[in-house]
Amino acid sequence: MFADDEINILVIVLDVNPIWWGQQAQREPQFTLSTCLDSLMVLANAHLVMSRTNKLAVIANLYQKSHFLYPSKQWKSGDEISTSSDGKYELLSVTNDLFAEEIRNLMDRTEVSGSHTDSLLAVSIAKALCCILNLWFMQIAGQDVKSRILVIKAAEDSTLQYMNFMNVIFAAQKKNILIDACVLDADSGLLQQACDITGGLYLKIPQKIALAQYLLWVFLPDAEQRSQLLLPPPVHVDYRAACFCHRNLIEIGYVCSVCLSIFCNFSPICTTCETAFKMPLPQMAKTKKKKVKTAN
Amino acid sequence: MASLSEEVLLVVKRVRQRKQDGTLYLMAERIAWGPEGKDRFTVSHLYADIRCQKISPDGKAKIQLQLILHTGESTTFHFSNGSTALKDRDATKELLQQLLPKFKKKANKELEEKNRMLQEDPVLFQLYKDLVVSQVISAEEFWANRLSLNTVEHSLSNNSKQEVGISAAFLADIRPQTDGCNGLRYNLTSDIIESIFRTYPTVKQKYAENVPHNLTEKEFWTRFFQSHYFHRDRISTGQQDIFSECAKQDEKGLKSMVTQGVKNPMVDLLLLEDKTLDEVRDCHGAGGRPTDAPSDQASETSSTDGNSRDSDFFQLPLKKVKLQESIEYDDLQGDSGRKTIALNLKKSDRYSHGPIPLQSQHYTTSQDIINSISIIQHEMRNYKPRLTQVMSSNAASSAITALSPGGLLMQGGGQQTINQLVPTDVQIELKHLYTAAGELLRHFWSCFPVNTPFLEDKLMGHLEEMLQAAYSKFQVWQTRRMMRKT
Repeated sequence: MFADDEINILVIVLDVNPIWWGQQAQREPQFTLSTCLDSLMVLANAHLVMSRTNKLAVIANLYQKSHFLYPSKQWKSGDEISTSSDGKYELLSVTNDLFAEEIRNLMDRTEVSGSHTDSLLAVSIAKALCCILNLWFMQIAGQDVKSRILVIKAAEDSTLQYMNFMNVIFAAQKKNILIDACVLDADSGLLQQACDITGGLYLKIPQKIALAQYLLWVFLPDAEQRSQLLLPPPVHVDYRAACFCHRNLIEIGYVCSVCLSIFCNFSPICTTCETAFKMPLPQMAKTKKKKVKTAN
Repeated sequence: MASLSEEVLLVVKRVRQRKQDGTLYLMAERIAWGPEGKDRFTVSHLYADIRCQKISPDGKAKIQLQLILHTGESTTFHFSNGSTALKDRDATKELLQQLLPKFKKKANKELEEKNRMLQEDPVLFQLYKDLVVSQVISAEEFWANRLSLNTVEHSLSNNSKQEVGISAAFLADIRPQTDGCNGLRYNLTSDIIESIFRTYPTVKQKYAENVPHNLTEKEFWTRFFQSHYFHRDRISTGQQDIFSECAKQDEKGLKSMVTQGVKNPMVDLLLLEDKTLDEVRDCHGAGGRPTDAPSDQASETSSTDGNSRDSDFFQLPLKKVKLQESIEYDDLQGDSGRKTIALNLKKSDRYSHGPIPLQSQHYTTSQDIINSISIIQHEMRNYKPRLTQVMSSNAASSAITALSPGGLLMQGGGQQTINQLVPTDVQIELKHLYTAAGELLRHFWSCFPVNTPFLEDKLMGHLEEMLQAAYSKFQVWQTRRMMRKT
C-alpha cells in the first residue's frame, strides 16, 4: 500500500433527529445517542489510523439543516491542544474532542420547531459531496482520491426530498463516490436506491448495541478491499414507480405519452397535461346490429 | 437398368470394352456402355467419379480411351468403327473434356465448403465431432440442415461484391512485341479481351456475329488490331473492314450527345462570353441609357448578344439553382424552425413525489416532542466519549456471527456461480453436451410439420434413438462424475 499515493476520504453523515433519539432513549436506554456517537468515534479513529493520508469529515443532520461536526469551524490552528493523559495519537484525541464539543453545542442550540419526525438527508449528502470535491481539488498530481459517504439513518424518510435526493445520488455516481447506508430503524427505499446506483453497501442493523462491530466489520474497508471480503449481499431494491393519482407502487400501469405521468387506471384525459386520448370503440356493438338486421 | 429418362448426349457404336462389342452412351451425368444387343449397361460411371481420361497416342493402331476413376480403377474403351473410329474417339474425348470439369468442381466445391465451415466455426466442429463421429446423427442429415442455413447467407454476401472496373491504360498496356520479321505480336489474355468488350460494345457485337462462323478468334483479333478503327484514323475509307461500321456507330453516338447540349449552365462553354458593363446593365433592364458602343461592335455582338440575352434570361434561375446547390449542404443547415407546442402541465408537483408511498406518520403529540427533545438535550449536555466501553463482548460476538457466512445477514448471498464450483474440464464437457443436445432438438423441431414419410420415420425411429444415445451418454458422464466425487 503506497500511503502517499492514495487518499481515502470518509464522510459520515449522522442523522441526529432529536425527537427520534429522545424516543429511542425512552425505548431502549442501553442504546442512546451517546452510544451511537461513541461507536462512530471508534470508526472515525480506526479510519484515520489506517493510513496517514486518510481524511475524515462528519456531518450532523438536523431536520433540514446540516452541520459539520468535524472539521469544525471553531478550531483555529494554534489553539492549545490539551495533551491527553492516556498518550493517544494526537490527531485522534483532537478529533474526538472537537467532535464531542460540536455535538454538545449543536444539541444545546436546537429548538422545538414543528413536529419533524423525519429526516431530510439530501441536504447533508449534498454538503458531503461538496466537501469531498473540496478535498479532491487539493490533491497533488499523481494521487488517487477515493471517497465514500456513510449515512447513518435513524428516523424515517421524508417525502419531500425525492428529487433532490435523486440528483445527489446521480451526482455521486458521476464522481465515483460510494454511498453506504447503515440503517438503525426503518428501511429506507431512497437509501437502498442510492447504494444500488453508486455501488455502496446497504445494511439494516438487527442489534443496535453492536453498532460499533457492524461499522468496523462492514463499513471500514474501502471499495477495493471489499471485493476481497465476504460481506452481506446486496439487498433487492424495489424500483417500482408510484402512480400519480394514489401514490401506490405499481408494476404495470398507464403512461401518458405527452407528459409521461404514470397512472394505475386508464382515464380518457390525462390529469396532468389535460390531453385527451381517444378511447377504442367496442367492436361488438356493430356486429350485433348487423345480426339484428338480417334476422328482420 | 438403363434409365431412359436421362438425356443422351452422344452415342458411339462399335466400341469394344474387354473384348466385347457394344455401344457407348454419354449422358447428362454419367457415361455408360452396354454390350451389343443387350438393353442393360454393364459399365456405368458418374462423371463425378471420374478422375481423368487418357487417350492412346495418335500413331497407334488401336484407338482407345481410358477412364481413370478416383478409386484407382480404370476402364478402357476400344473404338473399332473402322473409318470413323478416330473421329468418334475425339468427339468422345472433347465431350468428356467439357463435362468432367463441371462435375469435378461440384463435388470439390461441396467438400471445400464443408471443410471451410468446419474450420471457421470451432463450435460447429465440436458439434460435428460429438454428433456425427459418435454416430448419433448421420453426416447427411447434419449437413442437410446446415447447408440450407448457409446458402441463404452466402448468396446475400456474394451479391454485394462490386464489379472491378477497367484500368484507363489498358489499351496502352497491350504493347506489341516485334516479332523480328516486320510483324507485331500482341498478347491477349481473357482479361484484356473482356476490357476491350466493355469499352467497345460494338466490337463485342461483331465478335458475336463473326466468330466462330466466319472468322476464327485469331483472325478476328488480327483484323481488329490492323483496322484503322483501332489506330484511331477514323477516316472511313470505305474499306471492306468489319470495323468501319463500328466507327460509324461511334460517330453517330457522339453527334447525338452533342445535339442534346449541356444542361448545367455553369459548364456550358457556349455561354461563356465576355460582356461589357453596359451590356450587362441592358440585360438586366436597369436604366435607359442607350449604349455607347460603336455600331459595328453592336452589330457584331447583336446576334450573339441577343442569344446570350435570351439564353441568360432562361439560364439565370438555373444558374442560381446550380450555384446554391454547390454552396449549401442540406445536412449542415440548422433545424428549420419546427413548430413546437409547449407542454401544459397543470399539476407539476406530482413529478417531485418519488416512489415513496404516502405513509401515515407516527402520530406524536407535542408533549412527546417536547419530552424527547429535553431528554436528548439533557443527555448531550453531559456527553463525554467513553470509547473503551462502547459495547459488550457478547454483543460484538453475536454481531460477528450474524455477519459470518451462513449468518443472519448473509442469507441469499454468496451464491457461487457454477464456474467457481466446477473444474474447467467438466465445464467444457458440459458445454459440448449442451450444444449437442441443442442441435438434436433443432433437428427434432425441424421435422415438424411431418410431411414426408422420411420425416415420420426420422421422428419415430431415428431421432428417438439419437435422443436415447444422447441421454445414455449423459448418464455415463453423470456416473463418472459421481464416482469422481466419491
